Amino acid sequence: MDLLAALEALRRPLDRELFPLAVGEAARDRRAQRELAGQLDDYLLPRLRALDAPLLAVVGGSTGAGKSTLVNSLVGADVTEPGVLRPTTLVPTLVVSPADRAWFMGQNVLPSLSRATGTGPGALRVVTSDALGAGLALLDAPDIDSVVVANRELAAQLLAAADLWLFVTTAARYADEVPWSFLRSARERSTALALVLDRVSPDAVGPVSRDLSRLLAENGLDGTLLFTVPEAVLPAEKARLPAETVRPISSWLTGLAADAAERSRVVRQTLSGALDSLATRVPALAEAVERQQAAFDGLRSIVAGAYAGGLADFDAGMRDGSLLRGEVLARWQDFIGTGDLMRSLESRVGWLRDRIVGFFTGRVPELQLRDALESGVEALIRGAADGAAERALEGWSAAPGGPDLLERLGPMESARLGRASADLGKRSESAVRGWQEYVLDLVREEGAERRTAARVASFGVNGAGLLLMLGAFASTGGLTGIEVGIAGGTSLLSQKLLEAVFGDQAVRTLTVAARADLRDRVRMLLEEESYRFMAQLEAVEPPGGTANALRVAAERIHIHRAELPLTTGESP
Amino acid sequence: MKLLRRKEGPSLDSRLAALLEAASLAEGRLAEEAVSGARAVAERAGARRNLSVDHTVAALAGATGSGKSSLYNALAGEELAAVGVVRPTTSTAQAALWDGEGSGSLLDWLGIPQRHSAAPAPDLSGLILLDLPDHDSIQLSHRLEVDRLVELVDLLVWVVDPQKYADAALHDRYLRPLSAHRDVMLVVLNQADRLPAHAVERCLGDLRRLLDEDGLTGVPALAASARTGAGLAELRSLLGERVAHRRSWSTRLAADVTTAATRLGGPAAEDGTASGVAEGGAGRTAGMDRALTAALCDAAGVPLVVQAVAKGHRHRAVVATGWPVTRWIRKFRPDPLRRLRIGTTAPAGERPSRPPDRRPGEPPGRLRAEVAGKPRGELAGGPRDELPGEPPGGSADRPPGVGIVGRTSVPAASAVQRAKVETAIRDVGEAAAAGLPGPWAAAVRQAARSRSRELADEVDRAVATTSFRATRRPRWWRAVNVLQWLVFAAMLAGALWLGGLFAMDYLRLPQPPLPTVGVVPWPTVLLLGGALAGVLIALLSRLAAWAGGRRRARRTARALRTAIGQVSDELVLAPVRVELDRYARFMAAINRALDGT
Repeated sequence: MDLLAALEALRRPLDRELFPLAVGEAARDRRAQRELAGQLDDYLLPRLRALDAPLLAVVGGSTGAGKSTLVNSLVGADVTEPGVLRPTTLVPTLVVSPADRAWFMGQNVLPSLSRATGTGPGALRVVTSDALGAGLALLDAPDIDSVVVANRELAAQLLAAADLWLFVTTAARYADEVPWSFLRSARERSTALALVLDRVSPDAVGPVSRDLSRLLAENGLDGTLLFTVPEAVLPAEKARLPAETVRPISSWLTGLAADAAERSRVVRQTLSGALDSLATRVPALAEAVERQQAAFDGLRSIVAGAYAGGLADFDAGMRDGSLLRGEVLARWQDFIGTGDLMRSLESRVGWLRDRIVGFFTGRVPELQLRDALESGVEALIRGAADGAAERALEGWSAAPGGPDLLERLGPMESARLGRASADLGKRSESAVRGWQEYVLDLVREEGAERRTAARVASFGVNGAGLLLMLGAFASTGGLTGIEVGIAGGTSLLSQKLLEAVFGDQAVRTLTVAARADLRDRVRMLLEEESYRFMAQLEAVEPPGGTANALRVAAERIHIHRAELPLTTGESP
Repeated sequence: MKLLRRKEGPSLDSRLAALLEAASLAEGRLAEEAVSGARAVAERAGARRNLSVDHTVAALAGATGSGKSSLYNALAGEELAAVGVVRPTTSTAQAALWDGEGSGSLLDWLGIPQRHSAAPAPDLSGLILLDLPDHDSIQLSHRLEVDRLVELVDLLVWVVDPQKYADAALHDRYLRPLSAHRDVMLVVLNQADRLPAHAVERCLGDLRRLLDEDGLTGVPALAASARTGAGLAELRSLLGERVAHRRSWSTRLAADVTTAATRLGGPAAEDGTASGVAEGGAGRTAGMDRALTAALCDAAGVPLVVQAVAKGHRHRAVVATGWPVTRWIRKFRPDPLRRLRIGTTAPAGERPSRPPDRRPGEPPGRLRAEVAGKPRGELAGGPRDELPGEPPGGSADRPPGVGIVGRTSVPAASAVQRAKVETAIRDVGEAAAAGLPGPWAAAVRQAARSRSRELADEVDRAVATTSFRATRRPRWWRAVNVLQWLVFAAMLAGALWLGGLFAMDYLRLPQPPLPTVGVVPWPTVLLLGGALAGVLIALLSRLAAWAGGRRRARRTARALRTAIGQVSDELVLAPVRVELDRYARFMAAINRALDGT
């Protein structure tokens, strides 16, 4: 049946947590999702698979309303445990006629509840009773309003699975807010409903039932079947009500069990009501999912923006040639000052002197220069990553859904998220090394291709590569005044030297390539960094297109809604 | 009465003051509703204290149909409130007064227009009993009225019945959040007559269990029946006892303060370790400032400045003490210090003639403060030839507010250096914030960054002020200079003498007698000795200048580090300390508000 398939399609996306972010009324949306999934599992799918299965009437209501006593009295046996301590019923009891036992013992209806017979453990006690006619089962549900949260949730689940509500209220309860919220939802879903006004002192029967009828009419539930059971002084806590006070209810139930046509009318009323309610509930849920999606997109774009800013910081650090200054500059001057360059050019003279200088000072200037360059780039990467993480964290704590997400991470973890990751230093070091290798390769290639290979060799490929790296930072210029004298002068020198070796155009190309390569590597590093944020989102994000899947499923259900047969078939 | 009030007063007063202090300290740091909630509590407490404290306002609150109005009528001894079977019955609160003179303004404050003087009863004298509407019916307005009055009344009497005593609406919405108010609460299990006699005790026991779960251990719970009158005497005597003490109002306010303070203080308020954390944080920053100062020194170009100081000293020494014949060549080379524009403008309070041993380790801030208020010295001396910006010795002080220190030309911090400074600042913030609860940790981290914009300028100012001292000219330069010129004069004299002799010889004039030193004639001694001595003095003083430059560079480096450390302390660590101190004070205030000491 297409309708069944459509419902199954609707059920599928509901397995996941669809509302992980605290956006809008997420708690309400989560409840709606849970309710929808529960109703599909417990009621709609099993009911559509077997339209002529026995009718399930759930006796629900407030704590202390006398549900258990009523069920015992209706069945004429002590099948459930009433008592004065609230809440009384913790394990729901299902009373079935022997003929229907097999259907209910199979996990058709309420598949998530394990069945128990006798005094065995289980989430749903099943008791057979001859007092009930075949085709009708009574379920004594827990209360809807006591302090025990599990009871309230279970009661809501059971009521959502019912073909018929036998809603019990009392003279003291009938104007309570909680039961009325259930009654209103029954009206919205056109659930078949009968109301039992229990525990009315005999002198108050008239005014109270009149007032209740007024309330029912006010809430659009006029015409609801209303039974009144006067309060009786019971000889014992577990005594049953006198048979005559519950006779109207029991005879109505017996009649319902005997009349297959009426039974199927009740089933269809509740079923089509539930299907109709999907037309508004599912799109509302889809909208909520879209709100979540928008919040996710917002959080993601905050992170993306923050890390784009980080890359821009790095670019700015490279562009103004400032990497040359400070340490790099000092080392560069060492490099020039100790005659390293000269040594490279006139290797024979330089060799001996270098050995002597190296022997006394124990240092090799060229290596120092490269170290300075590395640590400079690393510091720049770290600063950019730190700043980006900080901005992303700040953005999150102001964005919808963000603070809640951070709170779930805990203060320690979120503080860690606000800084660059601990192993960034190691990774940026290896990235810089990779870049140097690339630059050296570039120089080698260029040297091999051109006729300048010999001159590059005389320079020492390492020295030329080093100069190229310096050139990468200074090539855009932007230096003025004294800074040109201090920083630009040296880079200008290296530029000139390189140009002499490779030719002007080649240097420019090499510099551009070296710079682009470094930038790519840094971008990858920062992307890895930003993934720490993205991972937090991806861990909880519902799959894309969920909202659409929900809408399409609701649409299909609406289309195939007419397939619901008007009368139940006689076939098993 | 007055005595009682005085006895209760100070403790509650100080707790309220502490709560207000905590609220204002938490302003902008903690969630807005917790802060405004604490303020509202303080405001309410102030209002209640100014109203009649001889009356105790007790409210009968509960679900619809639990028999609040029946109980109210039974206690008042009259049919004051309508009792009915149609739910909800009571829609507005009303009050019954026992000896209610002087309670008018209190009832106005509570917003109860319907009042009734009950038959005088000595045991309940001073009681104002309120019959509240229900909190759980479909009438939302009833619940709002209950919510409003539950916040204001002195004593809460919760009326429950065997059907409804376990309702989530009661326990989740009222009893659990009010667990701090257990001293101003009574619970009455009404309609006990509807239970079989043996079940009453069990039911009461179960109610007791639920109350304990709500955190209301010790709250009196008693069974009663408005219909049969059972248990009413007990309830009446309980009420009478509370009324006679006349301190329910302050107990209630104290409970309000406890609730608000707990909410404000968060989980840290309970274990009481918070102030230790704050102090520990201040200690932790002590180690962090080294790294920060190092990064700042680097960013401020301190190594460059120090190098320039050494070179500049040598340069100026050569200009001042070199051999007069060749020293002018030196002037064609740039002065490294002047190139960085160090020592070209006089920083406030700098006295070049101050003895050198006063230099190291002296913060510029202190110097500036030291001279503030001194009259402006005369500037007649003007800039000297060699050092145009150098102020005349002795009286270069400026009046306060004129402390303009020119920007040096030390290259601006590179992106790398800036990144390192930022990382160091973040490290400081993180170390200081460790162990603090979330919002406060964020505030501390924020405080560390709060003045980082000013850092660059302040550090440069410190560099300009501190390194200016390195441009001081040692006195021996002048002495050597005089000596150089004397030697030069001798050499010149020798040359002239020899020249004269040569001219006379050329013109075949008779030679005057020539004094000799041994065998060498005087003019030759003067010429050669002068030249030799000049070069020798120049070489020696160059050697001295080299050593002096090194020493001076070392001292400058030390002074710069101290000065920059001072700046980082002022701009980074001080805001952090202020924030940590604020947190410590906040926690102290919360603790005071919680235990009243």
